[in-house]
Amino acid sequence: MGVASSTAAPRPPGGLLPGGRVIPFRRRGEAATAWLGMVVFLGSWAMMFAGLFFSYGLVRLRAPAWPPPDQPPLPLLLPGVNVAVVLLSEGALVLALRRLRGGKPRPAAAALVAATLLGATFLALQTAVWVSLWDAGLRPDGGPYASVFYALTVFHAIHVLVGLVALVWLAARSLAGGLGPTRLQALRLWAMYWHFVGAVWVALYLAVYVI
Amino acid sequence: MSTPAQVMEQVETQPIHPPPTSFWRKYVFSIDHKVIARQFLWAGLLFLLVGGTLAMLIRWQWGFPYQKVPILGDVFLGANGGLIGPATYQKVFTMHGLIMIFFAVTPVLIGTFGNFLIPLMIGARDMAFPKLNMYSFWTFALSQALVVASFLVDLGTAGAGWTTYPPLATNVGTPGTGQTLVVAALFVTGVSSTMGAINYVTTVIRLRAPGMTWMRLPLTIWGLWLTAILNALFIPVLGSAALLLLLDRSFGTQFFIAGAAAVRGGGDPILYQHLFWIFGHPEVYIMILPAWGIVGDVLAFFARKPHHWYRGSVWAMVAVTVLSAMVYGHHMFMTGMSPLLGEAFMLFTLTISVPSMVVVLNWLFTIWKGSIRFTTPMLFALGTMFVFGVGGLTGLFLGDISMDLYLHDTMFVVGHFHFTMAAASFMGAMTGLYFWLPKIYGRKLDERLGKVHFWFSIVGFTVVFGGQLLVGWAGQQRRLFDPFQYTFIQGLRGLNQWTSIFAFVLFAGQFVFVWNFFKTVFGKAEAAGRNPWEVTTLEWTDTTSPPPFHNFDVIPVVVRGPHEFANPDVKRLLGRDWVGQAEKVPALEEAPAAAAKA
Repeated sequence: MGVASSTAAPRPPGGLLPGGRVIPFRRRGEAATAWLGMVVFLGSWAMMFAGLFFSYGLVRLRAPAWPPPDQPPLPLLLPGVNVAVVLLSEGALVLALRRLRGGKPRPAAAALVAATLLGATFLALQTAVWVSLWDAGLRPDGGPYASVFYALTVFHAIHVLVGLVALVWLAARSLAGGLGPTRLQALRLWAMYWHFVGAVWVALYLAVYVI
Repeated sequence: MSTPAQVMEQVETQPIHPPPTSFWRKYVFSIDHKVIARQFLWAGLLFLLVGGTLAMLIRWQWGFPYQKVPILGDVFLGANGGLIGPATYQKVFTMHGLIMIFFAVTPVLIGTFGNFLIPLMIGARDMAFPKLNMYSFWTFALSQALVVASFLVDLGTAGAGWTTYPPLATNVGTPGTGQTLVVAALFVTGVSSTMGAINYVTTVIRLRAPGMTWMRLPLTIWGLWLTAILNALFIPVLGSAALLLLLDRSFGTQFFIAGAAAVRGGGDPILYQHLFWIFGHPEVYIMILPAWGIVGDVLAFFARKPHHWYRGSVWAMVAVTVLSAMVYGHHMFMTGMSPLLGEAFMLFTLTISVPSMVVVLNWLFTIWKGSIRFTTPMLFALGTMFVFGVGGLTGLFLGDISMDLYLHDTMFVVGHFHFTMAAASFMGAMTGLYFWLPKIYGRKLDERLGKVHFWFSIVGFTVVFGGQLLVGWAGQQRRLFDPFQYTFIQGLRGLNQWTSIFAFVLFAGQFVFVWNFFKTVFGKAEAAGRNPWEVTTLEWTDTTSPPPFHNFDVIPVVVRGPHEFANPDVKRLLGRDWVGQAEKVPALEEAPAAAAKA
């Protein structure tokens, strides 16, 4: 084996290089690398949603009537409540991270559990919306209006589900015995993902339900 | 100069991990970028052979329609008496295109070189996210498995053309599980490419060795990095198209269905074309930018000169990357697009030729008056220059609306994109393989066999794709099962036959490479040594062939650009015409000062 690494190298203070130059990234080392990777991933994934929104716009522009006269209009209230739920969940996650940084693991765990429960609430409400529209006769094969609604909301909900699984796992870990540095890093990255999914929901609510 | 990697070096260091010992961790589920690169290489080359075989079937049909296919006919087409029927023909040309682009050239050019070269050439111990890298390969393997499966199901594999346009690609036009599996494979391979892209983009930004500034990066890395950015941004758009098409096929949604099959007005088939080409045009550059980078480096290496106007080439590649995202409409001139929009797309399209020309002219200036060493990689680099030149120039005809109206969907288009995406990407990949296989496997390829392979390839590509340009100019439509059903194409039988014969020769010539490759990897070829080509970049100067698990015993500190050749002071001090990127020569720093004093 070659040269062993020197693990005991002292950290230079406060994001400055020797010689006083500022480090060109917000965070240092592996955390910064992971942060950048997550940014690239979310930027990339945003393009997928952009493709879906573009499709929605084009299909809708071509449609003679939206919604078609014989199909139910989309509800505004329940999805609107869900906007609030998503924002609260994001807020709880921000709070959890802030408390963890402040060295308060128990209140942090509580906030994390709250964020998780709010995420589950979102999915429950969204399921209620699907059921009510399904009962009103809206099926995925019922033309472009139904296609857009189901494709966009289900694809988004799958992303919520993925994030929720991660949050449940992290919340369970933090209740069981707190989060070590690795899991804290994981929580930071999942929080970025959660904000992304939340932002997509706000855009989706405005574009699909409101307009 | 300080780079983020330097900070990491000082603060957290990239530690040396012990290499894995178990078989599974070492060869199968490896997180070592070099092993993953080899996995991509094998997966890609295997499918290259499949795609090439399919191409031979197409050429047989155009050269010798309604005749029994020799050799392959009995093996694969026994049920049809060894003949290619119209339905089979659809599937053959569809899968030729899809396999070549997504499952052969992409894994070799991006999967292999991206994985192998990025950490080694920037002086890192591995990718930024080694596990993600492993997932990327196995996701890709899954997509290949889906492609293989599509051949085995009822009604056979996909048959809607490589572009998979609806309504032909919907259940109305192409029923059956095969098409669905292939669309799913596109989505899955897109996920794999996205994972790779995240890794490449992040690794180049974060893990460059101390002193490896942006303007000291080898051009190969610039090409791969810009490719990764395009991949990250536009592969997901293909993903959205594939997703919606899958929903249309499997859940009865109505995004792309119009006409009689539509419910409540239906969707819009043209929508798919938008999504596909928003991705598809950057994809063209995704497949050529790595080759540009490789060729730029290799030309400088074997002309023994610094690359001409390195910065110009870098910024030209950046400009091409940006422009490539703004030209997709030129694939859709015939869709009834607004003429104003069409003209805008034409303008941007023709503008791309300016930075492209900067790149090509820089290549020419690089070899101008160089002491050229005609090694196999150099021959392939020169060949890439030539075929890319032809491909680029024929592109000007197609970018122009008035010409495109005539040439649209003719074999001229096929010839054009085969010169760029097939010939240039393939020869670029071969440039890289002949150049870096000694590093990847530690043994030299046979130079004589390599040169035979080169001449088969360059002559074959030029004649075959040149033949396509000619018949296209004469009006032969692409994708026709029997082009000669039109009387005015009758006169092109001879040309088509000769093109096919040269295609078979081209294909046969590739087995010279297969032989050479196996001989090198499994035989007793001569060990390559650290730096057989006497070049300057880190993977040659600072580590062994093949490199150890941790790549570099000590992370090199880079002190100069990637092409330091023909420096008279170096010649005087070191007695050679090159000096490594991380090679400290104290006397060299004093030399210019001394010269100035004198």
